[in-house]
Amino acid sequence: MQSNFDRRRINGPEESFPPVYDHEEEAESSWKPGQSRQGRAAGDIRPIFLKAGLISQANGSAYIETEHTKIACAVYGPRQSKTTVYNENGRLNVEVKFAPFSCTRRRAPIRDAEDRSLAVQIQQALLPAVRLELLPKSTIDIFLTVIENDGIEGCIASGSVAASAALADAGIEMLGLVMACSASTVGEEIWLDPTAQEAQNASGSLIVAGMPALGTLTNVWQSGRLAPIRVLQVSSVHATDDRILRAHINHSQGMEACQERFVDIHTIVAQALLDNAHNT
Amino acid sequence: MMAESGPSTSAVSTSKAEQDALRAATFQRLHPKVYLERFLAENLRPDGRELDDWREVSVNVGSISSADGSALVRMGDTTVVCGVKAEIAEPELDSPEEGFLVPNLDLPAICHPRFKPGPPTEEAQVLSDRLNEVLITSGAISTKSLCIEPGRAVWVLYVDATCINYDGNAFDATLLAMMAALKNTRLPKATFESETGRTVCSRKTKIPLQVNRLPVSMSFGIFDSTHVLADPTSFEEPLLDTTLSIAVDENGGLVSVTQLGLGVVGKEDVLPHCISAARKRCSGVIGLLANIS
Amino acid sequence: MSSDLVLPGQPIPLPRGPVPQLGSGIYSRDGNIRASLVGIPGYEGSTLSISRTRPHAPSSNSIVLGSITRLSPQQATLSISVVDGVPLPPGEEFTGVIRVQDVRATEKDRVKIADCFRGGDVVKGLVISLGDARSYYVTTARNDLGVIFATSESGATMEPVSWQEMRCPRTGRIEKRKCAKPEGL
Repeated sequence: MQSNFDRRRINGPEESFPPVYDHEEEAESSWKPGQSRQGRAAGDIRPIFLKAGLISQANGSAYIETEHTKIACAVYGPRQSKTTVYNENGRLNVEVKFAPFSCTRRRAPIRDAEDRSLAVQIQQALLPAVRLELLPKSTIDIFLTVIENDGIEGCIASGSVAASAALADAGIEMLGLVMACSASTVGEEIWLDPTAQEAQNASGSLIVAGMPALGTLTNVWQSGRLAPIRVLQVSSVHATDDRILRAHINHSQGMEACQERFVDIHTIVAQALLDNAHNT
Repeated sequence: MMAESGPSTSAVSTSKAEQDALRAATFQRLHPKVYLERFLAENLRPDGRELDDWREVSVNVGSISSADGSALVRMGDTTVVCGVKAEIAEPELDSPEEGFLVPNLDLPAICHPRFKPGPPTEEAQVLSDRLNEVLITSGAISTKSLCIEPGRAVWVLYVDATCINYDGNAFDATLLAMMAALKNTRLPKATFESETGRTVCSRKTKIPLQVNRLPVSMSFGIFDSTHVLADPTSFEEPLLDTTLSIAVDENGGLVSVTQLGLGVVGKEDVLPHCISAARKRCSGVIGLLANIS
Repeated sequence: MSSDLVLPGQPIPLPRGPVPQLGSGIYSRDGNIRASLVGIPGYEGSTLSISRTRPHAPSSNSIVLGSITRLSPQQATLSISVVDGVPLPPGEEFTGVIRVQDVRATEKDRVKIADCFRGGDVVKGLVISLGDARSYYVTTARNDLGVIFATSESGATMEPVSWQEMRCPRTGRIEKRKCAKPEGL
């Protein structure tokens, strides 16, 4: 048996289990395969609340909330790198932490593989945007705390948007703001910004990050079954200026609507940053 | 949104007010003690408070749906989120009717440059231990009320608090967040099935957790054996010789008193003074808890 | 007009004429001039930049303030807490070293580190290079650079009496330091 005992924390019993619920009451999710999306249109994203500069102790920060996805992000640095090798370029360090109460099942407060893969995705989304060549032998630390988790796709996308806003708030030079959005294919439809439950019903998921101002993508992450043409369809939502991808947009109607959603995210981030810049 | 007229031609220069602020911040960074002394000589603190002033406190509950109870507390800039997760376990053999209350505070790297990623710092360990003691000794939650079936199944309440922004006095803020989250906690109705040995819960029927007492803490610091500061900030904390925390309940009864360091200003013992100041303050803070359900 | 804030990635329209020099917060890519910071672009001479006073890492020619943390016959180690007049947040610092040959401009080979700095002294220095992986190289070889604040052995704040001596007001004793010429003299 794996011991949960940790001398550095207050410990409970050796073993405990999440509640098991009565099966007869389980008919909560009434969505059936083949049905269209409930609650919002396939191309709709959840409303985003973003505020920059809430964490006064950090150099820059942002808090993002998309319904049940809630993430706080702080940027510290540039700090002197602790490595022993001289480095011409700065280092971008991203760490993600889930609060123990952020998920359906309590998460023991230890780092696991999910924390790390999330951190890597967010780091990859930001790396091409940050002008690390201006920060020799320095490290930028980006810390994210997931306060509530409603699907890993949403966490990566919202986390990337929050981190980019926090970097801008910290005055770290960037080629452009990074936006990110996730999508899942459910049946024949592409649902933007899926919740955890929707992603469970999906055959494949995709997260796309990019700098809309420059018309470039910075990171694409795909999992599950998704035909290549579909990947391009969804990607093109974000790469507004990319001619090659644009050809595919015409393939599917409805993608135009997604472009508008994508612009929405940018508007929200821009507003949050401008509000904060005016206040300071 | 775009500047049609192009960039302004005015010289890029920092204003005088900005330069003065930078000079003051530089002095504060290089000579923190003298900086604080100069404020205290005027009976003021760097954030504009008087010595016995408390920062504004706000409590929000129930916004985290993945938790069985949750709260967000702001005390000045200090921000603590707390979530309660209820799980089921077998009770200890020697206390078959008692459930578990497991409070922990995390001070992650996000909340202050002083904290680095990794295992809990000594500071977080000490604070978690003190919080545990106040929650247990105050009897705020009766562990017997967490019993589902004696000897077989009891509730375990994991009360996890995470600091998002550390600007001092994490103890007071965290205790308040934990109490608010506990008051906000609803447990599903649980039935132990003796044939299968399983506990089955109902999603539909939820029962509010029974909270017997509302301990809240008021902390003070002594600077230079001359000044008593209420509710110290993260700038003031490292400069204090002594910290005192007074936890009282809704009837003004003392729950816990902690004093780290010598508690004397001039020739007078400050503990009685702090206790009466805490009693005076507590009704306002408890008022924030009382309305939570 | 001048109060128009730009965001990273946003193009900055330029008046017709020669392309200005690009300073901080601005970059050029594929023929477009864009912002890389949130702020208001403005000219300083012929240089277009977005200036933001934020804590930043030292670079060559940065003026830094810090306190001496370690001494050896070869160098004094400096914990840098203020860079170009902007203090770093509490708990953040950069490490600098003042090598024996960088303490003063004259008679370099006769410098004794112990006669120039003591632990805890606050020093004003100039970054001469990014140094090695561990530290930034800092010089005090200028009249306005050196110790700006020091406490005597008896614990009082000392006053400079010459560029290489300070006096304790409590005991009147003289201690050796490489002093910075006080501002305003």
